[in-house]
Amino acid sequence: MEERNLDKAIDILTKLINGEEVGKNSGANVSLYEEYSTNAEVYDIVNRMLNRMNIKLYEYKNGLYITGGENNQVFGFSNADLRKELGLKVNRELYLCYFIMYQVITCFYTDSSGFNFTEYVKIEDIMEVVDNSLKHIIDNLEILTNNEVEENSFKTLAILWSDLPAATEETIRAAKNSKAGYIKLVLNFLISQQLMAQSEERYYLKDRAKALIENYFEESKGRLYEIIQGKEQEDATY
Amino acid sequence: MTEEYIMMQDIIQEHKERIENIKRYYPYFKLADNSLLQWKEGKYASLDMGYITLAVLRFFIDENNMKDKDVRFEEYQEFLHTILVRDFELFLDEGEENQLTTYIFDKLLNEGKPFSFDYFDPMDKQKKTIRIKLIESKIESNVLYYSITSDAIEFYLDTKEIKEESSISVEQLLLSKLIDTQNFRGGIEVVKRINREVNKLKLRRNEVLTMLSVNVFEGKKAYEAFVNDITRWFDEEQRLFKKNTELIEKALEKAELDGKGNENSRFYSMVNEIYTLELEIKKAMYKHSELLSLCTSLQLQVDEIVTKSKLSTLRNSFDFRHAMNQMIENDNMEALEQMILPLFQLKTNKWFLLSDMENLLSLRAENEEESEAVSRGEEMTYVYEDEVEEQRIQDNFDVIVKVLFEKLEKERRFSLSELNEELTKKFGDRVLLNGDYYTFLIHMCQKDFYSIREIRQKPDTFFEEIIHNMLAQTEEYNKLQFSLLRKGEETVKIKDMLEISDIQFEKVEQ
Repeated sequence: MEERNLDKAIDILTKLINGEEVGKNSGANVSLYEEYSTNAEVYDIVNRMLNRMNIKLYEYKNGLYITGGENNQVFGFSNADLRKELGLKVNRELYLCYFIMYQVITCFYTDSSGFNFTEYVKIEDIMEVVDNSLKHIIDNLEILTNNEVEENSFKTLAILWSDLPAATEETIRAAKNSKAGYIKLVLNFLISQQLMAQSEERYYLKDRAKALIENYFEESKGRLYEIIQGKEQEDATY
Repeated sequence: MTEEYIMMQDIIQEHKERIENIKRYYPYFKLADNSLLQWKEGKYASLDMGYITLAVLRFFIDENNMKDKDVRFEEYQEFLHTILVRDFELFLDEGEENQLTTYIFDKLLNEGKPFSFDYFDPMDKQKKTIRIKLIESKIESNVLYYSITSDAIEFYLDTKEIKEESSISVEQLLLSKLIDTQNFRGGIEVVKRINREVNKLKLRRNEVLTMLSVNVFEGKKAYEAFVNDITRWFDEEQRLFKKNTELIEKALEKAELDGKGNENSRFYSMVNEIYTLELEIKKAMYKHSELLSLCTSLQLQVDEIVTKSKLSTLRNSFDFRHAMNQMIENDNMEALEQMILPLFQLKTNKWFLLSDMENLLSLRAENEEESEAVSRGEEMTYVYEDEVEEQRIQDNFDVIVKVLFEKLEKERRFSLSELNEELTKKFGDRVLLNGDYYTFLIHMCQKDFYSIREIRQKPDTFFEEIIHNMLAQTEEYNKLQFSLLRKGEETVKIKDMLEISDIQFEKVEQ
């Protein structure tokens, strides 16, 4: 192993971990991307080190993007971390935010195989999608058994959502007191995570988000479907 | 037997349905009751919230269903202003009126939450909650709009006409009656209501379509319910439309025949009303057939969406909508976490707030959690459960014996029922239900004669032991002697629950 290659690989890792862009259009880091894509040894070292740290690296449109992967204790966010980041108190509020984030994805993607060419979304579009997704649960809530509502249930989310007014004032602020406020809270966080960009009232998906969505869901679909069916937890007991 | 069975069936099986019908009225009574009593020290308590609620609902129906537009807050305020001035003669300055209308609107929206109440479902043997909203809000191009809910429309219609399975048919039957009695103006109102009903069904059809685009399975269920509720009435409704058109034509012919040579203003206004009614019913028929064709096209759209959904489940990629529907179906909310968390950046920042550092350095007491002081000490005594029981018996006996002694000193001779009266007077009638009272009687009846002096020297029974303990610190009652005479044939009733033999207490002089 050449020392120069090791240095280059460490440089790439440092930049990525610090949240800098490494890609063909990333200004100062273009040369590092060139090294990564042309030098097999650099490529190998970067990937091996990231693998050991349980960090996933995805390449998308000549750019490199990393994420904490699944259940990364060191670099991944826990629910408690996210509650703190988003200023939330209880888990049901956090899960409502997850739900909104998921619905933001569905505004741009029908399935992981490709972008559906939606250029941007507005807060009201997201509100409509969330409303529609929870509609049949909310309709059934009209007759709801009191002791049926558990903390970890979509019914809890539906109650939380349906009890919120659309907005409390004309200017939408990121807050927990309205539907629009919740969405704004989520969008601000997604912007801070470099997944989205904002221009006036329009919210665009950044390449980083596209890279992660298309690759992560594509390669993990089997495992994710198992989680959805609740199979993973069942297997874990054996 | 059969009648009783039918009655029970009615009570149990139809309860849920009845509650469903009652629920529409709940927000009205909730609002009408006390809504303005507490606000601003009851300054506006004279305003009738029930009337205001109905007026605002009518305004929303007019805007949403007749003019096909949603309502802005300012429009509602303007409407309520006219109500306050015209009906309540309330002339307020702008700021005050703004506060009042905002407060009333908040109440109508129930602060954004649905009105909810609990009821017991005898079928499932569970307590359930009903939820209902009158007004909904939505944002369009950054403007907040409000619209009336279908439940509120149904409530409003319910308040005046009987609700049947097909509102359109009921309204039409009413229309026939109105034409027969030549009340054409009333007929025009009924046709307008039919139009509103048709508009409501159109809205419901759109709701079904929206649901289908999000969740095929739930959408299919909603579609089937829609078809079952609505489309089977089409034939009947069409027939009634035809019948009413004929009735109108006949009414027109009759009016023209009656009015020949007698064309006064009453005749012209009646003919005018009949023409307007005819025009309105033609509009209604047009809208109704439009609804019919929309429902037919809905069938085709449903088939298309279902086929598309079946194909997408076979595709070899992660389908976001399908996955979401599965999560909801399995009620697996935690799966969301696994979907979203891996999309975030690395967490490199550490949670250590500067304010915490300051607190650490200055150790400000008010920001510290107070911990419980645990002192190390030796266990000196331990009270066992039976000791607690014994103490309780001693205390209760002390109280009763004290009353007995006082009465003996005062009255010389009395019966158990008189003692009971004294006890009830001092401690309330629950004292006679206390178990210790009966233990007291049993222990006391072991002997016929008691002398306190002897008890002090040598307590013989459990009862004497208790008296001995009780009088240990005092010299009182030293000379007291008393006898008990049990009257087997006479009994004392306690609260119609218990019956015990009466006892005669008598003080014996030394």
